[in-house]
Amino acid sequence: MAGNILEIRDLRKNFGAYQALKGVSLDVAQGEFIALVGPSGCGKTTLLKHIAGFEEPNSGSIAIDGQQMLGVPAAARPTSMVFQKLALFPHMTVADNIGFPLKLRKVDAATIAKRVMAMIELMQLKPEYLSRFPRQLSGGEQQRVALARSMISEPKLLLLDEPLSALDVKLKKVLQAELKRLHRSVGVTFVHVTHDLEEAIMLADRICVMRAGEILQMGGPNDIYYRPADSFVAGFIGDTNLIPVEIAENNASGAMLRAPGLHATDPRVPAGFVAADLGTGPALLMVRPELMSPLVPGESADFSIEVTITEVFCKGGTVQFRSIMADGAPVIFELPGASRQPADIGDKVRLGWPKRDIYVFREKVAA
Amino acid sequence: MSWYSDLPQFYQNQIREMGLDDAGMTRRRLLKSAGAAAGVAAMSGLTFGKPARAAGQMSYMCWEGYNDPRIIDPFKAANDVDIAFDLIVDSPGGFAKLQAGASREVDLVSSDMPWVTRMGPAGLAMELNPDDYADVYATFYDQFKPPFEPLISDGKTIGVATRWGWVGGCINTDITDPDTWRSYDPVFDAKNKDKICVMDWGDWPILPMALHAGIDPYQELDAAQLEEIRKVLRAMFKNTRTLVADLTQAQKGLLDGSLLGCIGAGSYLTSAVRKQGHKNIIATVPDPKNGLKQGIIWVEATAIVKETDQPELAQKLLKHVVSKDAGHVLSLLDTTCNVVTNKAVEELYSDEEKSILQTDYMWHAWDNSQMHRIAPQIDEMLAIWQEELAAAQ
Amino acid sequence: MSGEIDRSWRDPELLAKALPSVILQTGFFLAPLLMTMALTFQRTKNFQLTWTWSLETWTDIFTKPHYWTILGHTLFMAITCVVLCLLIAFPVAYALATRLRAYQNHVKVLITFAFLTDATLKTFGWVLFLDKNGAANYIARLTGFEGDAVNILFTDWATMLGMVYNLLSFAIFTIYLSIDAIDRSLILAAYDAGASKFRAFWEVTLPLARPGIWAASVLIFLLAVGVFLEPKVLGGGKSPMSAELIRQTFETRVNWPLGAALTLVLMVVAVFIVLLFNRIYSLKRHMGPI
Repeated sequence: MAGNILEIRDLRKNFGAYQALKGVSLDVAQGEFIALVGPSGCGKTTLLKHIAGFEEPNSGSIAIDGQQMLGVPAAARPTSMVFQKLALFPHMTVADNIGFPLKLRKVDAATIAKRVMAMIELMQLKPEYLSRFPRQLSGGEQQRVALARSMISEPKLLLLDEPLSALDVKLKKVLQAELKRLHRSVGVTFVHVTHDLEEAIMLADRICVMRAGEILQMGGPNDIYYRPADSFVAGFIGDTNLIPVEIAENNASGAMLRAPGLHATDPRVPAGFVAADLGTGPALLMVRPELMSPLVPGESADFSIEVTITEVFCKGGTVQFRSIMADGAPVIFELPGASRQPADIGDKVRLGWPKRDIYVFREKVAA
Repeated sequence: MSWYSDLPQFYQNQIREMGLDDAGMTRRRLLKSAGAAAGVAAMSGLTFGKPARAAGQMSYMCWEGYNDPRIIDPFKAANDVDIAFDLIVDSPGGFAKLQAGASREVDLVSSDMPWVTRMGPAGLAMELNPDDYADVYATFYDQFKPPFEPLISDGKTIGVATRWGWVGGCINTDITDPDTWRSYDPVFDAKNKDKICVMDWGDWPILPMALHAGIDPYQELDAAQLEEIRKVLRAMFKNTRTLVADLTQAQKGLLDGSLLGCIGAGSYLTSAVRKQGHKNIIATVPDPKNGLKQGIIWVEATAIVKETDQPELAQKLLKHVVSKDAGHVLSLLDTTCNVVTNKAVEELYSDEEKSILQTDYMWHAWDNSQMHRIAPQIDEMLAIWQEELAAAQ
Repeated sequence: MSGEIDRSWRDPELLAKALPSVILQTGFFLAPLLMTMALTFQRTKNFQLTWTWSLETWTDIFTKPHYWTILGHTLFMAITCVVLCLLIAFPVAYALATRLRAYQNHVKVLITFAFLTDATLKTFGWVLFLDKNGAANYIARLTGFEGDAVNILFTDWATMLGMVYNLLSFAIFTIYLSIDAIDRSLILAAYDAGASKFRAFWEVTLPLARPGIWAASVLIFLLAVGVFLEPKVLGGGKSPMSAELIRQTFETRVNWPLGAALTLVLMVVAVFIVLLFNRIYSLKRHMGPI
């Protein structure tokens, strides 16, 4: 696997009886932006700490740029971490904070000053901040200082441990854009830990969804969003509709779906829209709310259902409708806010969607 | 149930340990001592007025031992009176407290004789008529019978002598031949370096050293004599192992041999150890040097406070303190054993008790000693003491 | 931080709220201090205070070198005590806050017990330990030493031992709290930046523990300057320190003016030294908020 900056093989870590990592393997290519996503306790931060060298695994291996990292202390690894709480040194000025990694590498003062200045410019911080202390800066500014300190030593891997989680939504958006820009401009490999799948989808080239110490799904943002491995991943971001179906037949040409209340012009779904390992039996049909649209009488769609609207929410750009099918299963759909409102609470509506907008998978991937 | 039974357990234990319950402390009395504390505050220019006192209540300022329940309880029972104690740890301090306003609370004072005598000119003591005390004086040793000059000020009798003893050298006869202590020379002997213990009790260690230098500290001194005292103190500090204010530390050192001799104390220090069976610890008085007696006799006396509102009861208590039975208890306490002024007490002593008290030695000590008074230039001597102590580092 | 303090000085409501406390402070601290000062201008004769305004006491203090010898000795002992306490307390506190986290509650309870145990008791305990027939010599004899091998009782060494022993828990607690408050991720950040364990300690832990070290120093210094039990009991009273000199002056000599004057001298010198150190400290310290 030439070209991989990071190769993790079957990494296991136990804290007492608790298995924090249950055999994780991961390859990250040079220059990639990888996001590790999952709920708290899923092992994503533990995995990051192993990469940084703050934890040693019970078994398995980590290689960075072809070098085995087991037993190598954090200080000697070509990685750099941006901490959740930023961990800026409160007793040092901004300049001393940013220059700290270089000072430890015995770089001469003039070079440090020059490179600190370059980082300040890269981070779009004001030069007068150099002599200030971290507490005199705003949250966003502190964030940039932390990034600058992590990047000044030109690490091969930049590890980000939920650095944006403490920020308010608006500032978060700004800094997300900033991270994306930085990644593009410096070309360093980023490993970003977050519990926010939306953030991961926005930022990452590839997303690694974790649960209970294991990698559940690895893929690009579109894969994760439209082709989730199971209902856990599907439910991890935004609202989604999961309609229980029965697969009567499943072969190379596609699968035959059957479900009460589900009308299909052709119940055969091509193989690309069905999870690879799915056989026959019960499964879930996923449709994202924004891909459903109401049908006028006489109009038909590849798939359609009839629902009764129970609630209407205005979300600004879109209007969200909550409804139930005849058997009581909930269905959510969203329409652009500017469009004509098709119905009100209590109304019956027919919803349709094309075949290319669905994905069929098993309820839960076995652990 | 007692006055302190509603206090937290911790304080109850403390009170029992301090023996306050035995002393028959009552809550009322506690309030009374609070009044005494207010009296101290009065010296800062604030006057709280005399706190109200309950009838049948007395306050007794004394050294520890005079408050022994075996002495006090019979008196309390016979006279239906409660007695609160104001224990003093040093005589000047007790005197200062009286002057500071405690005289309005205290009825009776038992302290070092010079300080009791001083209560006369200070207007703190009630003049005694020796005739009123003829009954107690009858059995006194002749030396303490009226007129007993040291307790007379301006022709007035201030108090009655109670307990006495001598100050000289304290040694362990297993280690030291008493004959080598017929003078204070061993204190200055270079081979006794770091073997001498000095009692840190104000003027007490200074006076014997002055006597050793051939100076009578009870006289007015000139600059040259004070300089001699400075020299002798400097020489003394050279051999000093420790200055102690605590009896047990000195006693322990004498017993284990880490201290060869103690100066500034005498029978007051050695007797308790003798009572425990260590008859090898003795208090000696050096022989006169060039006609100057080297020992010092200390006497404790009891006086009635001028402002007492119960003069009859106070007089009764005074007479009780010097009585035969009370005197026996007073002379053989656990903390210290000392002879008393009432000769009748001798009849009660066993041979063992006589040995503890060194009664066969006491008149020898008396004959070779000065009577302790307040030295006129004690301020200067104490200042010299401090200077030499600081320089001795 | 400094901005908030500045503002609070001009907040009339806050000042009004502080008024009762200010009055109490004045009443219970300043007034006795003024009385002490007034006392120094009085005289004493034959153990008796006489109210005559005079400069005698102050003349005495400034002409007799031995007061200053004792004061100098006191300051030397106090500063030595501070240094020793810090040298012992810092590793202990550091280990407590970092290495022994599992046991830290037990250790904290033990230290609190040490706090609560009467200092007199502990000091006399040392006398028994160091005594000619004490445990120390017993052990020394068992291990083959002749006679009284441990012969430090009634020396400055014993005084210092007692002082360090009695004051150490204050230092441990104060420093422990400051180290415990350091965010663990700061240390990880230092490692991550390439720092060795020693470098991380030197660059991050130590500077951040400095307020605690400083507070412990001031606390120990002021307590050590006021020590009288240890020099008396363990030091054998031969080299008295200022507090003991003051006690003797008040109690044994009953010279209140001199005692009061010595008290003021000690206070002024101690406060001056603390302010001096404070100045050096704040100059050395970065100007930022910590």
